[in-house]
Amino acid sequence: MTAFAPLNRRSFLKTAAAGLSAATVLGRAGRALAAEPINFATWSAAVDTVKSHIGAFEAKTGIKVNYTNSPWAQYRETMITKFIGKAPVDTLWVSDSWLPEWADAGWIAPVDQYKTLVDNSDVDQFCVDSMTYKGKQFGNTYYSDYMAFIYNADMLAKAGIKAPPQTWAEVVDQAKIIKDKGLAQWPVLISMAQESWLIEFMTAMVYSSGGHFTDDKGNAVMQDPANGAGTALRWLVDAVQKHKILSPSCVETGELAILKAFSSGDNAFGLIPKYRLRTLNDPAQSKLAGNAKIALMPKGEKGSNATVGWMRFYGMTPRAQADAQRAADTVKLMEWFGGKADGEYKFQKMLFKDVGSGFGQKSLFNDPEIRAGYAAYGDVDLIGKQQSLARKKDVVTPWFGEWNDVNGTAWQQAIMGKVSVEQALNTSAAKWTELKKQS
Amino acid sequence: MTAMPTTPPPAIRHYRAHSPLRRVGRGVALAVASVLFVGYVLAPIAWLVSSSFQNEREIISKPPHWIPDVPTLANFSAIFAAKDKAVTYETRKSADPASGGFIPSTATNLLPAMLNSFVVACAVVVLNLLVGVPAAYAMAKIHFRGRQASIYVILATRVIPDIALVVPFFLFIRNLGLLDSLWSLIITYLAVTVPFSVFVLVSYFESLPDELDKAARVDGCSRLQTLLRVYLPLARPSLVAVILFAFLASWNEFLLALMFTQTPASQTLPIIVASFTSDFTISFSFINAAGVLAIIPPVLLALVFERYIVSGLTAGAVKG
Amino acid sequence: MTSSAVGAATPRLRGALSYDERAALLFVAPLAAVLLAVAVFPILYSFYISLFSLKLTRPGRMPFVGLDNYVAVLSDPHFWLAVERTAYFSVLSVAAIAVLALLVALLLNEEFPGRRALGAILLVPWAIPYVANALMWKWIYDSNYGALNGLLYQLDFINSYMVWLGDADKTLPLIANAFVWKEVPLAAILLLVGLKTIPPDLHAAAKVDGANALRRFFHITLPQLTSAFSLVVVYETMMAIRHFDLFFILTEGGPGDASHVVAWRIYVETFRSLSFGTGAAMAYVLALATLALAYAIIRMLARRI
Repeated sequence: MTAFAPLNRRSFLKTAAAGLSAATVLGRAGRALAAEPINFATWSAAVDTVKSHIGAFEAKTGIKVNYTNSPWAQYRETMITKFIGKAPVDTLWVSDSWLPEWADAGWIAPVDQYKTLVDNSDVDQFCVDSMTYKGKQFGNTYYSDYMAFIYNADMLAKAGIKAPPQTWAEVVDQAKIIKDKGLAQWPVLISMAQESWLIEFMTAMVYSSGGHFTDDKGNAVMQDPANGAGTALRWLVDAVQKHKILSPSCVETGELAILKAFSSGDNAFGLIPKYRLRTLNDPAQSKLAGNAKIALMPKGEKGSNATVGWMRFYGMTPRAQADAQRAADTVKLMEWFGGKADGEYKFQKMLFKDVGSGFGQKSLFNDPEIRAGYAAYGDVDLIGKQQSLARKKDVVTPWFGEWNDVNGTAWQQAIMGKVSVEQALNTSAAKWTELKKQS
Repeated sequence: MTAMPTTPPPAIRHYRAHSPLRRVGRGVALAVASVLFVGYVLAPIAWLVSSSFQNEREIISKPPHWIPDVPTLANFSAIFAAKDKAVTYETRKSADPASGGFIPSTATNLLPAMLNSFVVACAVVVLNLLVGVPAAYAMAKIHFRGRQASIYVILATRVIPDIALVVPFFLFIRNLGLLDSLWSLIITYLAVTVPFSVFVLVSYFESLPDELDKAARVDGCSRLQTLLRVYLPLARPSLVAVILFAFLASWNEFLLALMFTQTPASQTLPIIVASFTSDFTISFSFINAAGVLAIIPPVLLALVFERYIVSGLTAGAVKG
Repeated sequence: MTSSAVGAATPRLRGALSYDERAALLFVAPLAAVLLAVAVFPILYSFYISLFSLKLTRPGRMPFVGLDNYVAVLSDPHFWLAVERTAYFSVLSVAAIAVLALLVALLLNEEFPGRRALGAILLVPWAIPYVANALMWKWIYDSNYGALNGLLYQLDFINSYMVWLGDADKTLPLIANAFVWKEVPLAAILLLVGLKTIPPDLHAAAKVDGANALRRFFHITLPQLTSAFSLVVVYETMMAIRHFDLFFILTEGGPGDASHVVAWRIYVETFRSLSFGTGAAMAYVLALATLALAYAIIRMLARRI
């Protein structure tokens, strides 16, 4: 044994060195075998579309991707549990609402050092602004959209109503006519369930009523009778309690339930993300196909046709950035999805075709396929006009998540008649001010 | 009329003095009560099972179809289906999961989660027995200082609500890097199961005669041998009861598993099932099928070992 | 239960004093170690954390605040509202459980064919996981397609489908119903065991004295059941106060804050607002309250024995 030992050790070391160099030279296949997959977390939208695109990515680059998805309605809670539990996540979808909170907590990291990701030459300014915090950019665009006002053209025709409502007061009148004619028990569908969408439904109502949640300096004005959220909340409360055109179960009804309900043709008016128009007008998925139409957001008394716009982006975690190889691979994946794949905006177009999603790339607005796609279920100019009136949420701050829970509960209580509109908004404003002071 | 009270056999005791009319009345009352009882207990479950055999179109009927017109096994086969095959640009479903009837990709995690639950439950049971049986024997049979107080202290630990345990456990286990491992569950479940196990075992051991102990000692057995050879075989009902309780408590536990498991690698069955209930894209019939799957193992276990539960709990209070 | 055996001294063999105690120590050591690690340690560590301000969104800053967290929790009106809701839920549940379990136990105490089968059926709700229970009831209560709506509609009790869980006034009773359904079996078994310990002579003697079934029930059965009843009440109250699973799955504290019970608040504070300091303080307050309540109930019921 000992006689051979020195010989064995030397030859062992030689073999080991040869083996190591061979491994590094092996390239793609070797890397795929040795490395952990890139962990890509999303919410469960367009699952098959994402899967197909991942498949193409893996085939082309040999980098394995571990794709997980969870319901959008509780996405923030799910991801936060993962973050504090140090679960492996490399890239993920992020809503513009959470950018300050997650950036400050160190759960997502700036990506300015990856030049391909921050090449914004073809990106809508609205999207760029939404992805930027404290002067740094935190990812590239996934999709962008706005809250739309839709109506059931068939039901309106049956009720003898010539044109969709222009103001929220008209919504009440037309809804009453429809209800009296027995065409719908609850003509209006608006989701007020405590889930990720809630802030966007609220903000659409608030903006179109001419109000705000906060002022330019970020102080709470939601409780201000003049330009706060009072008009919007009051409309909702009256719709439920007084006019009975909106079901009290709206506090339990999420956006998906709204989609399902509207597509069965039982309601007349609703608020829904614009991209849902595609699903609502698809005969395979909706009974209302051909009759789900978009109208400009009704105006409040002192309001406008303004609505809320949002964008979601691909974020990157510090964990991914810690290792150079992993970072490079993750950037490749983010590029593949949020930028160009094989020279074209493949994922964005698939998303639009499958799900009707909007996008952040300016050049795609003029793409003939895209325009034709929109024309199939909506007035392209109207869609564009509403888009131009879409504004960013004014509550995006590091304490948004915590305030959102309290605000949502307060609105729900007002709608259920447990507290007055003033009380609800005061509670909400107090929480905002308290959190702002603490930060 | 009635004879002097000389403890007659139970069966005759009830019928002896009653006229046929009262017997019939009693029979009817019992039958009605039994039907109500069975209805109360089984009707919700029957509805769960019925829903799991309906397809998506049927399950959203108003009013509901109590018995499926077109029963289907599709929901269950989705759970047992092999790993999903690759999706390409050509084969992708363009319908958004939002339109419902969606079988989530996490469906394939149900069976591995069942395995996790099973592994954790078995480990917890074994540890319960290893830790609980010697201690119960000692507390019941050996007269040592602090023995009275200790049983109360042990029970008192269960008064603390689980949610109060989660915070310290979470931070501690996280710093150990044990989050997302089955061990974190096994260890924390001991806190949930051991006190009750010890309580049951002590009660049962106390009901066993002390003379056996003395006899065994006279024969030269050590304490350990006394325990293993004399008391353990006698304590079988309580052992089975402890196994059952510990297994079910582990299998059904939710809060701690929710906090400590991050990925399907360690997630237990309740977590996976819970993830379905909050996702509105998922088909209702699939959710019900997952529910049925979740209840089959514990119900089977309980039914098989049913008679040990009562006897394990009574601990000699009822003689014979 | 077996109090008679407790006081009996184990006969000591010559020179076995220290041997006994050594053996006892050895046998109890694993248990003590386990409980110290998983029960005592968390309780102490939890108190330690509650003295700091620890927010996981600001990792790195953990200032010592002493009892400030407790002051914040106890002076928060929302906390007391949650206590109110918890109390309402618990009282409702325990009352229902006590009544239903007693009826079931009385039924199962009778001798009749099929009794064994009924006893087995009784175990089914107890065996299933709370998650499955929640899922089942959530589907039954569903506003659009649920069985409750369907049944009432078919029986003509209602004209159109109603909102159940989303109606703030109905939320807690509905959750309580789901909770009661699952808890009745264990309570019934405990009461059944109590029923079986009643000496039959008592009933026979009373019958001789001319007492009918109802009087026998109130004057013999119920008093004899006191200790079993107290066990059931204490245990179920503990379970109801701390219950979390149903609230998480059925309503997530909603609608509004109709089902924001203390356990839910602790979860939200800790894992959504990520404020571990105040979450720990709240959990501690709940733990202490639970201990005090258990003690109070035991004392109150023990006096009546």
